[in-house]
Amino acid sequence: MITYIFRRLFGLLPMLFGITLISFMVIKLAPGKPVMLQYSLNPKISLDEIKRLEKIEGFDKPLYVQYFNWLGNLSRFNFGRSISDGRFVMDKIVERLPVTLSINILSLFLIFLIAVPWGIRSALKQGSTFDRVSTLVMFLLFAAPTFWLALLLMQLFCIQFGWLPISGITSLDFEHFNWWQKVFDIGRHLFLPVLVSGLAGFAGICRYMRSNMIEALQQPYIYTARAKGLSENKIIYKHALRNALLPIVTILGLSLPGLLGGSIIFESIFAIPGIGRLFYEAAMMRDINLIMAEIILVAVLTMLGNLIADVLYAYVDPRIRYKK
Amino acid sequence: MQNKSLNIGILIIGFLTIIAILAPLVSPFDPSVIDQDSLLMPPSLKHFLGTDTLGRDLFSRIVFGARISLGIGLVAVGIATLVGLILGAAAGFYGGRIDGLIMRFVDIMLCFPTFYLILAVAAILGPSIFNIMIIVGLTSWMGVARLVRGEILSLKEREFIQAEKSIGASNLRIIIRHLIPNAIGPVLVSATLGIGGAILLESGLSFLGLGVQPPTPSWGNILIESKSTLGVAWWITVFPGLAILTTILGFNLIAEGLKKKLGG
Amino acid sequence: MENLLEVKNLKVEFFSNKSLVPVIDGATFFIKKDEILVLAGESGSGKTLTALSITKILPNSAIITAGSAKFMGVDLLTMDEKALTDIRGREIAYIFQEPTSYLNPVFTVGIQITEVIMLHQNKNKLDAFNEAKELLSLVKIKDPQRVLSSYPHQLSGGMNQRVFLAMALACKPKLLIADEPTTALDVTIEAQILQLLLDLKKTMGFSLLFITHNLSIAKKIADRICVMCKGKIVEEGSVDKIFDAPEHFHTRELINAYEKIGKL
Repeated sequence: MITYIFRRLFGLLPMLFGITLISFMVIKLAPGKPVMLQYSLNPKISLDEIKRLEKIEGFDKPLYVQYFNWLGNLSRFNFGRSISDGRFVMDKIVERLPVTLSINILSLFLIFLIAVPWGIRSALKQGSTFDRVSTLVMFLLFAAPTFWLALLLMQLFCIQFGWLPISGITSLDFEHFNWWQKVFDIGRHLFLPVLVSGLAGFAGICRYMRSNMIEALQQPYIYTARAKGLSENKIIYKHALRNALLPIVTILGLSLPGLLGGSIIFESIFAIPGIGRLFYEAAMMRDINLIMAEIILVAVLTMLGNLIADVLYAYVDPRIRYKK
Repeated sequence: MQNKSLNIGILIIGFLTIIAILAPLVSPFDPSVIDQDSLLMPPSLKHFLGTDTLGRDLFSRIVFGARISLGIGLVAVGIATLVGLILGAAAGFYGGRIDGLIMRFVDIMLCFPTFYLILAVAAILGPSIFNIMIIVGLTSWMGVARLVRGEILSLKEREFIQAEKSIGASNLRIIIRHLIPNAIGPVLVSATLGIGGAILLESGLSFLGLGVQPPTPSWGNILIESKSTLGVAWWITVFPGLAILTTILGFNLIAEGLKKKLGG
Repeated sequence: MENLLEVKNLKVEFFSNKSLVPVIDGATFFIKKDEILVLAGESGSGKTLTALSITKILPNSAIITAGSAKFMGVDLLTMDEKALTDIRGREIAYIFQEPTSYLNPVFTVGIQITEVIMLHQNKNKLDAFNEAKELLSLVKIKDPQRVLSSYPHQLSGGMNQRVFLAMALACKPKLLIADEPTTALDVTIEAQILQLLLDLKKTMGFSLLFITHNLSIAKKIADRICVMCKGKIVEEGSVDKIFDAPEHFHTRELINAYEKIGKL
């Protein structure tokens, strides 16, 4: 098991290299000179000034030299400064990361908490009204754009009923609240963002769980369990469920890019200060250093998510854990 | 047995396609004509789906938006399928180092959450319909590549390919004449799903202001306004979203139906 | 001698496209105490379904539409589910064709054996484990401790069939139903398992319903043979009678098939 983990970790190195290479090529896609791109907002800049800046940033050197210089900086976690306020890109990201991660982890947790039993119920009552209605709802959820759902829910809960605040993560008078009020306030603000970020994944996991469970219940070992005289509950919740749940672990890792991608949209809509919104602002301002740093960060997070999912799967499935 | 999802899906998409093609005939107003006298009108007989903050007819804008959305979806998926087909076929057929290299590339591309990559490139290259088609296409070919590779790996061992090889057919001939036609079924299913996905990406991108630029109407950029008209004009929020939902639903239904048809 | 099990006029049908298709059509047979009855027939003749119907562990799409199965004088087919679970595994036990796929891949052998002991004998975990160890020695497994903590995929097919046998015999059933228990195994292992089965029958004294398509096995172990064809029992009699004076043409076919194999 430990050698397996080490082998996988070692395998990440070429991936990491590939990620940086692709990200670097994305910067170089830009037509015209990179310095122009960054300072195009400043009309007073002179041609000499541009030349001088190019030298400082090393843009006059051949591409591969630029790439390795850049890589050298990355290895020291130096992603440069943001053009919008001159702060280090890394600092800006680090202060925003916790919000995004906690919303995503929370919604992932809720997805599993609800989608798994829901999928099981659908599978057990295959063909029932509950199953048919839920299949239809999942199909619709699957096709609905998340940002549109967000807008509809906002219209409904924030404006029509006025139950929930429309944006941000805290109220204006947050400072004066006691502990319970603070928790309640954050909960009210995060309710819709968590709901929205979870909806699409929820539909996917429901459908997945349903088909897994249906498949597990048709396996030969279910006949054995029945022949032993086990109760229907034991058969379903012990013998079938364990088998149906195992592959769900992999989904954990695979749903990460979707969740992080979704963060851009719902953080922009709900004005949540996370890395999704930061990225959106960076893209609007063409803040290249910030864009690159975030792209690499989310790619590495995704890569680690996949790794954790694989290792977890190998751990929970004895067929992989004890390979002959 | 009747293939209900396929029929309904084709009906929806066929209908939308006709509307998109006949847009100038179908829409009662010019989608970009500003009418100061009818700002934010609710749905009425004159304006079926109401008007926006500039008094433009929402129905006409959605009809013209169908052209953009369907067009971008088709072209982007065309690009993605072509790239995926070529790389997947090469990986599956040649195997060995070429396969290793291509599949590694696929793994790396899959690490980038698509929306980040698309947004970054759109920001750097500048948003235009042409750029969006290419960007979405070039960031969503990985699924097809994996699929084609898998199909070809399993087909390669089958007798008729071995026979073809033994009579000395060229590699390219085998790939084009035999392997790709045999792998096309699953590719078709994934491409159909892909069109829905591409339309979803485009609408998200346009909604964030980095996609199709106003005044050209797209379902995503019509929705930009809905943020500011949330309590005032529900129709601006509801109808463009319904258009996106219906379209994606249509493509998903077709994909589901095709899967059923090919599966048995 | 009194009959342990009497199956009369059993009819099982499958749901297919909203209509019922009979698969077992009026099967009638009996097993005496201490007897080995071989149910022989080609694959698809309904042997396995007959075996599963006795304790009603059929797949969802199959239903029993007529007949009775009296076990020690009580009809199992009209018994409620609760009472049936008490009979399954305690009075009537099964072993199946492919032991490795009929064992649950995600539980250790130990858990799967002790589960049935704890269920039917009200023993605690520790006692159940000790009993499981003894059972494994009984089926001639040399290192019970290791096998108990193994998962099915870590053991060979023959080993898994021994484990299965131990699990089936854990509660000293009166009837053991063995559905092609050696078909998936190779010849030497097959002989070992058959011998083990006969030895255990002698020491523990259960009746055996042995299902096979292979008449050479039937000749070796059977007291009586029932031949099944297309959901009906077409011939019944002692080994000598079946082999020396087969009446039904299907029986002759089966004997011919067996003799061909014998000549190889």
